[in-house]
This record gives sequence, C-alpha cells and structure tokens, in this order.
Amino acid sequence: MSEMLSGAEILCRALVDAGVEVIFGYPGGAIMPFYHALPDHPRLRHILVRHEQAAAHAADGYARASGRVGVCVATSGPGATNLVTGLAAAHMDNSPVVAITGQVSRPMIGRDAFQETDIIGITLPITKQNYLVQDVTELAEVVAEAMAVALEGRPGPVLIDVPKDVQNQKIEYGAPRARARGQSRPLTPGASGGLEDGVRKAARLIAGAERPLLMVGHGVILAQAYAEVRALAEKTGIPVITTLLGISAFPDGHPLHLGMPGMHGEVHVNRAIQNADVIIGIGLRFDDRVTGNTASFAPQARIVHIDLDRAEIGKNVPVAVGIVGDARDITRRLVAAVEPRRCERWVEHIHGFVRTRAESYRGDLSPEAILASIYEASHGDCTIVTDVGQHQMWVAKLYPYQRPNTHITSGGLGAMGFAVPAAMGVHLARPNGTVWAISGDGGFQMNMAEMATMVQEGLPVKMAVFNNGYLGMVRQWQQFFHEKRYSCTPIWSPDYVKLAEAYSIPGYRVKEASELAEVVARANAQPGPALVEFMIEQEANVYPMIPPGGSLSEPIEAAPAGAAGD
Amino acid sequence: MSGVAPPSPSPSPSPAAHTVAVLLDDALVTLNRAFGVLRRRNVPIEGLALHPSGTAGESRLTFVLKADAVTADRVAQQFHKMIGVRSVMVLANDDSTTEAKR
Repeated sequence: MSEMLSGAEILCRALVDAGVEVIFGYPGGAIMPFYHALPDHPRLRHILVRHEQAAAHAADGYARASGRVGVCVATSGPGATNLVTGLAAAHMDNSPVVAITGQVSRPMIGRDAFQETDIIGITLPITKQNYLVQDVTELAEVVAEAMAVALEGRPGPVLIDVPKDVQNQKIEYGAPRARARGQSRPLTPGASGGLEDGVRKAARLIAGAERPLLMVGHGVILAQAYAEVRALAEKTGIPVITTLLGISAFPDGHPLHLGMPGMHGEVHVNRAIQNADVIIGIGLRFDDRVTGNTASFAPQARIVHIDLDRAEIGKNVPVAVGIVGDARDITRRLVAAVEPRRCERWVEHIHGFVRTRAESYRGDLSPEAILASIYEASHGDCTIVTDVGQHQMWVAKLYPYQRPNTHITSGGLGAMGFAVPAAMGVHLARPNGTVWAISGDGGFQMNMAEMATMVQEGLPVKMAVFNNGYLGMVRQWQQFFHEKRYSCTPIWSPDYVKLAEAYSIPGYRVKEASELAEVVARANAQPGPALVEFMIEQEANVYPMIPPGGSLSEPIEAAPAGAAGD
Repeated sequence: MSGVAPPSPSPSPSPAAHTVAVLLDDALVTLNRAFGVLRRRNVPIEGLALHPSGTAGESRLTFVLKADAVTADRVAQQFHKMIGVRSVMVLANDDSTTEAKR
C-alpha cells in the first residue's frame, strides 16, 4: 500500500529508517516544512542548539563517540553557512556527519532570493559528497545514500540541500528503491605487488629493524584496531607513539607507550622518531604538526604506511612500503606475519632521551594537577573533549587515557569553540558516561551560549575553563616568534560563576590547588551540567615546541633569551 | 592557464608532462568538484578540456600536468576516490599509459 506523503515527511521517515535517533538543528524559513513534520516522528530527538555551528560540532562529537552518523539540520542562507566550520572540522578529522539544509524553492534558485546561498558550492571542498534534491521522488534514496557515503571507507561529512517546495511536494510514497550507485566504490585493500606481498615486506622490515617505532593515528580508532595494535606492539616489543587523534588508541602507562609526537611532542618521542630505522605508521597522514619539516623528518627511517586511503600513501612523506586497507584487517595480518622479538635496548635508549623541565605555574595549580583531579573525580572513566590551544596540548600530553576513544578534539581543522558543543554530542552518544568539555577562556567564549542548550535539553556536560586571561597559544607564539608583542591576545572574561548561575548551572572557581579535589568532585557529581573555572598562570607555556616548519631535532625547551614569562 | 594557482616549486628541474584523463559523471556538481580538486591541490596545469566521452551521461576531463610521475599519481589518486569518477588514466610523455590503482 502506498500513501501520499510530503517531501518533509519522507525526509523524517528516511532518517528514522536509517536508524537516526538524534538531530542537532535550528529551524528557519526554508526548513519549516521539515520542522512541521518532525513532531510526528518521536524517534527523532531534536536538540535545539543556539547556533548552527554548534549543531555541526555536536553531530561531529556524536559521530566520533558512537561510530554512527551524526545528523545536523539548518535552514538556508545563514543557517547553512553557519554549519561550514563544523563540516570542515568533520572533513579534516574524518567524522561521518550528514547535514540537511533547507534551500529556497526551485523557481527562486539562482535569483539571489532571500536567504539563498549556494551551500553546495560553498561546501564542495569540505564534504565527501553533496546533493541538491531537485525531485521529491529521489529524496528517500538520497538520504539513504548520504548516510552510507558518510560512513563507508574513509568517513566524512555529506550535505543534502532540500528546496522548500520539494519538502512540500506530495507524492505517492512506496518503499524507497535501491539507488544505482555504481560510482561509489568501496576502497579496496591492496599494495603494489599485492596485499600479502606488502604485509610480508613490512614483516621483513620489522624483523631486520634495530630501532623500530609504531605510530598510530585516528584510523586505529575508526577501525577499532586497539587489540590488534596492542598485539603487534607486545609481540614485537616495538614502542608506540600516538598522534593527537590517535590518543587513547593505546593505553597510557603501558610500558611500550611513548606519547604524542610532533610540534608539542615530548623530546624523547621526537628523538625516537629522528633515530628510528623503521617506522610503521597505521591510520595517520603524517601531517605537518606531526612531522615538522618533512625534509628532516625521520632521516634514517624506512616507513611502512598503512592507510585506508590510497591517496594518503606517499602524500606527505616517502614510504618504503605502502599498504592500503582497514587498519584492523592489515594490522591483524601483520601480527600473524611478524616473528616475536624484543626491542629492550632501543626502548632503554629512548628512555635516555626523557627530559624533565622546570615549568612555572600559578602556585601549584598546574595543568597536570587539574587534569589529575578530573581523572580522580571521574574514577578514570569519562570522555574528555578538548578545544584548541594550550589546554588541548596539556590534555594531550598529561591526561592518562586508559579507555579507547575517550579523547575527542578538533585536530586537523583546529577549530576553537569545538569542545562545548561536541561534548553535547558525546553525551548523547554515551548517555551513561561522564563527559568533560575542557576549553580555554578564548574558545569557551566562542560557543558558551550552548549552556542554554544543555539546560533546555538536559545534557549534563561538565565544563572546565582554563582561564589565563590570554589567547594562550597565540600569546606563546608572540613570545617566541613575534618579539613578545602581545597584540590582541589579552582577553577579558565575564564572571563565569555568575554566568553559570544566570544559566541555572552550578559554577565554581578554583584558584588554589588545595581546592581542586573537592570542587572538581562536586562538579563531577552534579546531575546536570556544571562549570569549573581554573585560574591558571597567565604566561605558562607548552613545552617543548618545534617551531612551525622546523625540524623535530630542534625543540624549544625554554623561553628564548629576552622573552620573559617563565 | 588563468584562474589556476601558479605551480609550486617542482622536485626535479624539468618535470615531465603527464596527460591525465578522467572519465566522470556528466553532472554539474561532479564536474565542479573535479575542478575543485585541481584548484584545491594546487597542481600545475597546462591545458584543460572537457568533452562528452561518447557514453551517455559521461564526460571526459583531460588536462596536462607539468609534474613528475609521483605527483601525477598523487593527483590521479585524489580523483580516483571522488564519487562520480569512473576511471583515471595517466599518460606519461613516453606514451606509457597507466590506470590509477586504488
């Protein structure tokens, strides 16, 4: 039996049929037919954000935490353009997000109508695929295809632009036909000379290596290859480096875990890279924040690169062996192919590179102490979502991650304002877990309006604001590279405790380390959202630091002469 | 050609020319996305031509890439993973032809 349905009703049904449970969105003129149909579909829980950017970041956070597609909805024009930063973040970090935007009615397209923008054109380079639905008969299939495209292969965002008259158009609705999609082929595994040959070559390189390293990235989390990577490390004794987006793919505190590489990687991690003779990279793209100057990156190493995307192999660094495939599948094959071995002398050698630094913090209120208090209060069982800047690097380096995929951050795009909305998405993906959004005073102020969303929708996100009165990472660059001219980096903040109160959220301020344990535990135990402001040292820096474009061999380990501050 | 970013310094002094032929859906959004790959990846292009391929609903995009084989392959891979692209051929100056592997 078929029935007459509007495009908007079909859109809702298609989302339900695709298994969607949560939508982050904001209504407006061109998407009103969809919002009119939405209440008839109670399975679709709608979260009303305060800015469409937050809808996209929240959908991204939801996708990363759940492994399912995150969905966001906006109207045409400003609604659609406000999604752009969130879609770019999802694109850079391979997060499966589907964005649905209203568009002006078909007869108005191209006439510069009210709230018309070419969102297809705007989002072409930051989406895997996008669709302008010109015919309501295609709508259900387009939604099904978009959900599949977002998830398959290397995940990423997809946008569906639906003109208002298409949403209103009624058709006789039957079961959606499967759309012929000959063009979207799954990425097939392989290597030059064949997959097995690639794995054999990699195993031979490992067997002959004196100073091998494993470098694991986001691909390991996307493929859930945790056990396989651990088995490879433990069978061979090869120490493991986790990139910013690979953090939590391998447990902190494991004797083989070294830490994060690159611009703010610890000295011993980068030295290990510079001294390695073989590097096995799994699910990472060797981006510039990891490699520094590629000409001097890992000068002695032959690189084995395992990635799902053939276009990544050899893109940034030359590789000896490139293997295209799913991180879990390829790593499992590699575990079977390698002979057991140890690397004790090499690991000992790396430990000899470890440096301790004299850091200066405000009293004892160090980033390390703050993060330890969050770890204690949550019994080591929470998801940390970070923003971008100094606090992000401190968390990446200092938080002792034990459980896989509990560290979520905007890595590739580096979008300030990400943490608070993304944490809302993480909560909805993991409703029984605790989620902390950690931001600086700059990034927090970008999306702090989402506190209202948390209250209205009942999202118990715990917010930590590292307040140093500066856009700290930019100030650090100014100190190191711009003659300490702190141009436009001092930033005023409102009284966050009063602000929280205005939103009917418990707010706390921590000035001394002695207050940490009690306050953080109180905030963590709140049934709803809570905010804690940490008054940290104003001019603390993130050490060490490889200058942009510099060599991993030449870290800055203290403030340059003449640059005061610490 | 105008409208394309200037070539970045090439790794070898006189890079070989490669002709790249992309067969893809004859849909404006696909073609737009394909041009976007060339612009976005900042690769040195010398000629750009778009014709019907002879198969219904399919276009052939050809361009000359002033770059070495490694760069040509990298560009081919970026096209190959694009939805709507059906095949990518790289023709080297010595007339050898390779189909981009995925």
